[in-house]
Amino acid sequence: MRVEARALLIALSVVLLLPMCGFAPNPAQQAGADFIVTAAPVYVSLAELRGEERFPKGAHLLLVHEGKAEPLVTGFAASADAQVSFDGTMVLFAGKQAENDPWQIWEVTLKDRSVRKVLTTATDAERPFYLPSGRMIFALRTTRGFKLQSDEDGHPPKFLPMNPSAKPGPLQLSYMRASVFPADVLADGRILFEAGYPLGSGTTPEMYLVYADGSGIESYRCDHGRARWGGVQLASGDTVFTHGASLARFTSPLAREERVAAPQAEYAGAIAETDSGAWLVSARATAGPPYTIRLWKPGAATMETVAAEKGVNLVEPVLVAPRTRPKRHPSALHPWSYANLLALDARLSRDGALRGTPASVRLETQDAEGHAVAMGTAPVEQDGSFFVKVPGDKPIRFALLDAKGTVLRQEHGWFWARSGEQRICVGCHTGPERSAENRVPAVLLRTTTPVDLTSASKTDNARQAHVGGR
Amino acid sequence: MSHVLRSRLRACLATVLMATAAVLFAVALWNGRTAGAVVTGRTGDLLTYPSPLEVLFSPDGGRLYVLCNGSDEVRVLDAATYAVIKNIEVGRVPRGFSLSPDGKRLFVTNSWDDTLSVIDTGTLDVTATWHVGAEPSSVMEDRAGRHLFVANRISNDVAVLNAQTGAEEKRLVAGRGASYMTSSPDGSRLYVTHVYPNLAEHRSVPESEMTVIDTARAVVVDRIPQHGIAGVFHVAISADGRLGAAADLHPKNLVPLAHLEHGGAFEDTLTLFGADVGNKTVEVPLDELERYVARPFGVAISPDKSRMYVTSSGSEIVTVIDVPRLLGYVRTHRAPFVQDLSASANYVVARVAVGRDPRGMAFTHDGRRLLVANRLSDTISVIDTRTNRVASTIEIAGPKQLSVLRYGEQTFYTARYSFQGQIGCANCHIDSTFDGLEWDLEPDGFGRDIVDNRLIEDLKDTDPYKWNGGNPNLPTECGPRTELYFWRSENYDDLTLTDLVTYMRSLKPRPNRWKLPGYELTAAQERGKEIFERKVDKFGAPIPLTNRCSYCHSGPKGTNQKSFDVGTKKATDDYAVMDTPQLRNVALTAPYLHDGSAATLEEIWTVYNPADKHGRTNDLTKDELNDLIEYLRTR
Repeated sequence: MRVEARALLIALSVVLLLPMCGFAPNPAQQAGADFIVTAAPVYVSLAELRGEERFPKGAHLLLVHEGKAEPLVTGFAASADAQVSFDGTMVLFAGKQAENDPWQIWEVTLKDRSVRKVLTTATDAERPFYLPSGRMIFALRTTRGFKLQSDEDGHPPKFLPMNPSAKPGPLQLSYMRASVFPADVLADGRILFEAGYPLGSGTTPEMYLVYADGSGIESYRCDHGRARWGGVQLASGDTVFTHGASLARFTSPLAREERVAAPQAEYAGAIAETDSGAWLVSARATAGPPYTIRLWKPGAATMETVAAEKGVNLVEPVLVAPRTRPKRHPSALHPWSYANLLALDARLSRDGALRGTPASVRLETQDAEGHAVAMGTAPVEQDGSFFVKVPGDKPIRFALLDAKGTVLRQEHGWFWARSGEQRICVGCHTGPERSAENRVPAVLLRTTTPVDLTSASKTDNARQAHVGGR
Repeated sequence: MSHVLRSRLRACLATVLMATAAVLFAVALWNGRTAGAVVTGRTGDLLTYPSPLEVLFSPDGGRLYVLCNGSDEVRVLDAATYAVIKNIEVGRVPRGFSLSPDGKRLFVTNSWDDTLSVIDTGTLDVTATWHVGAEPSSVMEDRAGRHLFVANRISNDVAVLNAQTGAEEKRLVAGRGASYMTSSPDGSRLYVTHVYPNLAEHRSVPESEMTVIDTARAVVVDRIPQHGIAGVFHVAISADGRLGAAADLHPKNLVPLAHLEHGGAFEDTLTLFGADVGNKTVEVPLDELERYVARPFGVAISPDKSRMYVTSSGSEIVTVIDVPRLLGYVRTHRAPFVQDLSASANYVVARVAVGRDPRGMAFTHDGRRLLVANRLSDTISVIDTRTNRVASTIEIAGPKQLSVLRYGEQTFYTARYSFQGQIGCANCHIDSTFDGLEWDLEPDGFGRDIVDNRLIEDLKDTDPYKWNGGNPNLPTECGPRTELYFWRSENYDDLTLTDLVTYMRSLKPRPNRWKLPGYELTAAQERGKEIFERKVDKFGAPIPLTNRCSYCHSGPKGTNQKSFDVGTKKATDDYAVMDTPQLRNVALTAPYLHDGSAATLEEIWTVYNPADKHGRTNDLTKDELNDLIEYLRTR
């Protein structure tokens, strides 16, 4: 054996033997990088989906370096929701300078800890995330909870996009009478957010996706039923989330969630993936004691505590490290006040076969009080296709009717279409696993003009009525 | 031995084993890194890269033959050391090769020469060059050594040659774009696949076919329909002959291309056939919900039929399929499967990242290694079939520097820029040509402005682009337009876009097969040329300048680069004025007109020119129109 090979073998052996001799790095160091957590005496899980305060007794961000925690920023009455920039040099966060201030979006430069206010809003602005091209998203408090909002992050774009996807200034991304809260920005550029299921009417926490211009809203997966939140995408592309008492993941091959065999514990939402593939999780053994940050290597039977503070919950761990920038979404919205929706076969659904033949589809929206308002009907072709023009940036839903006007199927919740959006649905709640059949939908052979359902008074005035439900 | 001592020994042994494993891992990592070293910096020089397209082992397993599509060579390597034994020059743009059953001859199809090179594997010399049909793409000899079968992409047929003399005995009509073939294990049948869909009614579901040839009689005995499939590439049959699989492109060209998620533009599938699937065809998806297997090309079934491997030239991966699980899934679930993006979870067991534009594959004789030709990396990935990992990477000697054109070509063929990696330029421009499909693009409105996909060969200086002439230049066409309406995701940076455009502007037209060798015209072509250039009609009436063929279709490429209303606007079109398309190799690119409504060149005038707005043609007889078409085919 050559000398170099021997030396390498010995060196590796020594490295491997060190843990046996008690020289293993401490668990915090095993995280591989510094990390930031939100420390809060009281952490109310999922309060955001009720439009309530997650940290009713305040919170502050801690930077954990080699097992030692120190405040990330000073001069703030409260700070939370850290989000590290793609190059790992800056951190966006929600902060309050005075206790009674609304949460606002701030940014700290890690090198010198200089802080700047990124945005001033009249109400709480929370959970910011960097987007490519000098923009960010966050949750903005409204009278009905939170909505998704996009705005400039104050940095000029690092590159010149050939087609800037967003105009300067604020851009509302969600249009729902319900609280929605961002969870992550996926590698493909879509925004992962949490809201109740059915969207706009239900209370079971669920995860949804939307493009960075607010178009393309859809459920991440359609195996609804279990409360899931705190979703974070891993380097592999899987998205890990919590049910509270367990962790689970969405993977690209599967249309349903897959259980993560993590130790039994009560988890508090988002995890962080380290370079080594281990996860930082916020967990506690049972309800009662505060959450601590633990390091778990997927597959291991146990977790190691890497950060804990007596009487304080540590949640939302975020690694301080460069990371891959998500792709920028090039917005192709048209300059319209409406949207066009084409259903290829409304008869298709995960909910099973229809009890009759759909003859028409009714569009409903919500009025200012949240009452459902019928916007008119459009014919459904024999192949199940229909093509409609709908109001943009409003909650909408469809109901399939038979020839007598009886409702055959009603959408579970509400969704929106952005002004200028043109979108295709494979069916009615077919799930993201279902792709389109390659054929010209019958409705487009009859007409390429969508039925205008943008104005109740114009299309179906006589039948316009509150149709029940809020 | 005491318990303590045994424990210590076990601990020591474990430590040594771990250390050894770590060393081996480090060495493997080191090897992988050096073999796959990426050369940065791009030169403007015109460099010739080998571009390995197909690989083949000699019957004794001692030699590896590598078909180099870019350098017009077969490289012969020692299969153990991968050292070069000889580089053999063949014809232009070789596309396929195979060994005679006795292994003594290697046949190579030279797609741009319309020839077949015959190589003596003993001397490694080219002993004969035989003329075949238009754009020969693959070749096989029958077991008896009587016939050679050559799939011709452009002439859409399979030529049957005398295997000893090369004399062509007959042509068997195949489907459109006949390109790849495989033999049943007993050699009695050949299965031929096609890269273009057969001609069909306007806006109808694409149809391809697998042409089945009885090798003893040299006749077509079956045409297996492939419904919904536009392009089919390699086809393989298991050693027991009970399972066949072909790699397919399943387009969504009839649905408005509003977004890419949920297989919005293409699905990537396999067509299974044979006794294992009940002697019918079953199409199964390879894609996942958020990850695509863009442009499946090569298919290989392991000798024991436990695994199937599929290269994806756009996704730059090899997909590994568990065959028993695949068959179990097919047998226990109700077809159709193709619209279920979660189906592949039932049978795909691994996706192995390889080089750029992976194409053909070959197993080592023991089946433990699978070699994958990475055309645009100039490498061969060696996959350990037990671990489904790349064990090593063989470099095929060529220029060390990446040229602008090469980088542009890599960009053209990759799917990495589109949303979730679903498509690349080459999805619709197969091998940098076209796809024979009409598409419904979103920005013009659903169901409106249906557009035929145009050939991109020789498109330099044919601006503007798009059928309505809306894009003034290629950077606009391939940059913002592609990002917004095709990729639906962040596009290239400006430098990459420049490289891509440079590559596209460099695309040469393939040889025109309707021209005589000396470029003189036949009598019919001469008569057609006169019609093309005429200024008065048959009744002596002058033809207005803008209504003469030679006015709009002027210049060497057959376009004056202006737009005209030639009366072809349909009710679903927003524009009547259309860009004048170039005429390069127009004979190949059916269907015709901006929306692909004319199935043939003839229909342009017999069906879609009632008012003589698309040139004065209604005074022509059928024979005269034929003459005009004969001339157009020479352009």
